[in-house]
Amino acid sequence: MALKQISSNKCYEGFQKVFEHDSTELKCKMKFGIYLPPKADTRKCPVLYWLSGLTCTEQNFITKAGHQQAAAEHGLIVVAPDTSPRGCNIEGEDESWDFGTGASFYVNATEEPWKTNYRMYSYITEELPQLVNANFPADPERMSIFGHSMGGHGALICALKSPGKYKSVSAFAPICNPTQCPWGRKAFNGYLGVDQTKWEPYDATLLAKSYSGSQLDILIDQGKDDQFLAAGQLLPDNFIAACTERKIPVVFRLQQGYDHSYFFISTFINDHIKHHAKYLNA
Amino acid sequence: MSSSSMATEPETTSSSPDKVSARDLGHSKDEIASGLIEECDSTEPDGLKFYHMDLYESKERLDIFAEVKVTGDKGHEVSAEQSGEKDQIECSSQKEIDELARLYGLEDDKEIVEDFRVEHMPLPEVSENKESSIQKYNVEHKKIEPQQSMENIEREFGKKMFEDIVQEHDGVSSNCHFDEEAVNDASNEENQRTDIGGKLEDNDRTLSEPTAQQNEEEIPDIYCVTCGTPIRAFEKLFGIHKEHEVTQLANVIEDVKEEIHNNMGKLEEQIAQMENLVVHLEEIFINVEENFARQEQNFEIRYNEVMQALTQRCEDKLQALGEEKKEKLETLYAQLVACGKKLDSSRELIELIQELRKSKEKAEFLKTAVNTADRAEEFFQTDTELELSINQKYENKMIDFSDVQQLMDSINIVPAPSAPVVNPQSPNSATGTSVRVCWSPFSEDTVERYQLYYKPVSDDAPTEKQTEFMMKVKESYCTVYNLVPNTQYEFWVTALNTTGISPASERAVYVTAPSPPKIKPKDCRSCETAALVRWESGNMNPVDSYTVELCKVSTEDHESDITESIVGIPTCESLIQLDPREKYCIHVRAANVGGISERSKPVTIHTTGTFFHLNEETAHPLLSILEDGFTIACQEEESLLDFSYQYNSFTRCVAVMGNLIPVRGKHYWEVDADENVEYRIGVAFEDTNRNGVFGTNNTSWCMRHVVTPSRHKYEFLHCGSTPDVRITITPKKIGILLDYDNWKLSFFNMDLLQHLYTFSCRFQHFVHPFFALEKPGVLRIHNGIGVPESLRSF
Repeated sequence: MALKQISSNKCYEGFQKVFEHDSTELKCKMKFGIYLPPKADTRKCPVLYWLSGLTCTEQNFITKAGHQQAAAEHGLIVVAPDTSPRGCNIEGEDESWDFGTGASFYVNATEEPWKTNYRMYSYITEELPQLVNANFPADPERMSIFGHSMGGHGALICALKSPGKYKSVSAFAPICNPTQCPWGRKAFNGYLGVDQTKWEPYDATLLAKSYSGSQLDILIDQGKDDQFLAAGQLLPDNFIAACTERKIPVVFRLQQGYDHSYFFISTFINDHIKHHAKYLNA
Repeated sequence: MSSSSMATEPETTSSSPDKVSARDLGHSKDEIASGLIEECDSTEPDGLKFYHMDLYESKERLDIFAEVKVTGDKGHEVSAEQSGEKDQIECSSQKEIDELARLYGLEDDKEIVEDFRVEHMPLPEVSENKESSIQKYNVEHKKIEPQQSMENIEREFGKKMFEDIVQEHDGVSSNCHFDEEAVNDASNEENQRTDIGGKLEDNDRTLSEPTAQQNEEEIPDIYCVTCGTPIRAFEKLFGIHKEHEVTQLANVIEDVKEEIHNNMGKLEEQIAQMENLVVHLEEIFINVEENFARQEQNFEIRYNEVMQALTQRCEDKLQALGEEKKEKLETLYAQLVACGKKLDSSRELIELIQELRKSKEKAEFLKTAVNTADRAEEFFQTDTELELSINQKYENKMIDFSDVQQLMDSINIVPAPSAPVVNPQSPNSATGTSVRVCWSPFSEDTVERYQLYYKPVSDDAPTEKQTEFMMKVKESYCTVYNLVPNTQYEFWVTALNTTGISPASERAVYVTAPSPPKIKPKDCRSCETAALVRWESGNMNPVDSYTVELCKVSTEDHESDITESIVGIPTCESLIQLDPREKYCIHVRAANVGGISERSKPVTIHTTGTFFHLNEETAHPLLSILEDGFTIACQEEESLLDFSYQYNSFTRCVAVMGNLIPVRGKHYWEVDADENVEYRIGVAFEDTNRNGVFGTNNTSWCMRHVVTPSRHKYEFLHCGSTPDVRITITPKKIGILLDYDNWKLSFFNMDLLQHLYTFSCRFQHFVHPFFALEKPGVLRIHNGIGVPESLRSF
């Protein structure tokens, strides 16, 4: 698991770096961005994982979200992996922007031809944390996860599927109920097959309905003028209803006038970092 | 060391070997005193070696040695040329010697030898002398015969040498009449000397190790408590010390050192006392001198007065006598002249008659005779005053000496005193019920006692007679009790003695200290860094200022000594800076020119968190505050028209405001609410519209909870607008964090530590918490709790 540093830039007294490595889970070269706060020079820091949305690479978040200042302030390592395996030469992987490359939906695919490489859930929850913990001053006991859109979906399912593994979770405009929205149905159909019972373990709303385990504090920000909210791709109300029913604490903020972009993300990124820092630095 | 230099410098007057040895003596003393026993190691064997040479080779040097030794001895003079200055030095060195000796526990030595020592010469000195002589020998020898070889040392000579030294020393001592009794019994003494020699040897080993090298088996290494002497451990096992209690030499030395130290302390105390006494005596001396001088002057003046009076009296008398004499003499003279005239007339008549008788002519005779007879008749008819017209005797009038008597008496009888002067009130001399009045008599007056009059100063018309009080006082001051606090009193004084009573002094106004203020606990508020304390004056008349006293109360439940005072507070409130997470006990006192009041009843302030009371004035009539002061309830709505609203109470929202301390920083409080209670909670400016709805204006910020048929709805309202926030779990314990530093007002579900919402707002003024119920229900407010650590980052 050799790491290759692609770039390193000093940022708020810490470093924003990009590494490449050969993923055993995904059987391809994977890049990820990592922000190392100044505090990491002297001690182990908690790690916050960011999952990006459709079509993104590790670059979008690290260049647009502006999370570094808050991360430096709270002493958090922020890891931003890519959104899917790349260059696996799978037929049709680059045919559409909402399926295949850049659209892994953070599931472990079970269908051919995707099941060999598209094991992003395992990559995000197992391989990447091990890699980070082994190579950086990371505290393996303290990790949290957040994401945007498809990454928000990814963050929610990671947290809901493994109670206690993540100290906290938050999301920007997450796809809350993928089994009920066009994007999710297309992806799950492709990766998991037609049997919809196989989809359930990757649907945040359905997971919430059966969630039991350690207390989670979920923060969700949603732009009110988000075109995909109107298009019924995100369905946060379903998730809130499920959480209300299961007494899962959620603060959902419908932000007047904001859309689905990174401008929206960068507006509220500090709230989210602070939200995670509260649990990671507790 | 100063002692060494003191010891050496005057020695420069003596011969050069002497000087050197004396220096060496001082030096060795230093070493011993500072415990540098090892230092002696190098010199001691030399000493032994050179000693032999001196003893057996050079008689001359022996003499020098003897003289020097005596110099180092008790301070007895050997030769006439040794000056008093030197004597002093010797004394000082002698002190050192004594001390050293005591240090080494030689003082209380009770061995047989000691009898001799006690009688004739204290051993400590001896041992010290011996020590010094060794040193002297060293130096002298080094100086004179530096080429002396080591081969001359013979170990078996060592002991004998020591004995000889001592004998030699004793001899010198006797020569010097140092100890006359010592030579009384020569034969006996000889033996004793030998004993001393041995004894000294032992002592010497305690002083310096080198001897140990020679006579290792004889080092006293322990101390016999029973005998009070250092002994060898060996002796503890065998011999007379077998049954005795022993202890480490070092311990004994420590004890003795301590005792010396204690004694020094006592002496210093005594010196200090004596010095005080001296100062006191000097003062008395001056006083007596002055008093007598005054009395002398007084007598002089008085007696001069008497003398003047007597002289005057004498002159008056003499003048009166002179006048009387003149008058009498004049009268007598006049009488004399009259008598003379009469005599002349008589004689003339006689002559006439005799001529008549001679005449012959009858007619003429008759004519003349008749004429003459007429004249005689006439003559006889004139008064012949033959008696003295005045009393020639001196009229012995009584002289009146009563005024002189009075003058004489006045020499011994003091005059009646003049009016005293009442001093102005000195600050802090009064209490609430008493004042201390001071006055001064006229300086030359003798006063037996005073009468102090007083009455309260009243603004009422003077016709109303105020009760006057009178006290008889011996001193020129008096503390008057049972007065009314914070009240002015007039005081005046008359002075009395046997002769009479003085006029009354001018009246002086004194004022009693105020009554203690009364802290209003419900108006007190605090936070982590400060407290606002408010109180009532507790006095009818205005007071000058207030003093706040605060002390930290430690957890062990006793007040710490650290008491801070804030003085000169003009108003009935004070904002006090405090340290976080402490417990303070705060008192208030009131002050005026007379003094400062007793402490008020205390108020206890905990700086664990922000603490406030609800302001009942602001409560809506439908809102009731339960007994604990922090639970509010809204009753079922009745007809709103019936209510009489208090000034300042909320009229639209069923709300009450809390009195938050006006201090920036972080403030945190919590509200308990049941799931279905509908409320608005938040902060508002103090002057927020009483008839407004919280959150709909720009003077209030609130979290609103309402229950709709579909869900619990949460609004975070300011100026009538709220973000769209959905919360999946109804908070039952809401934490409210007001952060002036970061311009934030945050709400939390404290059961989950879930952040609900944060207002970012620049508060132009200080805000106060408010609590409003929209439907019947209960809210319970918790405060005085610190900001939870997990919220500190918000």
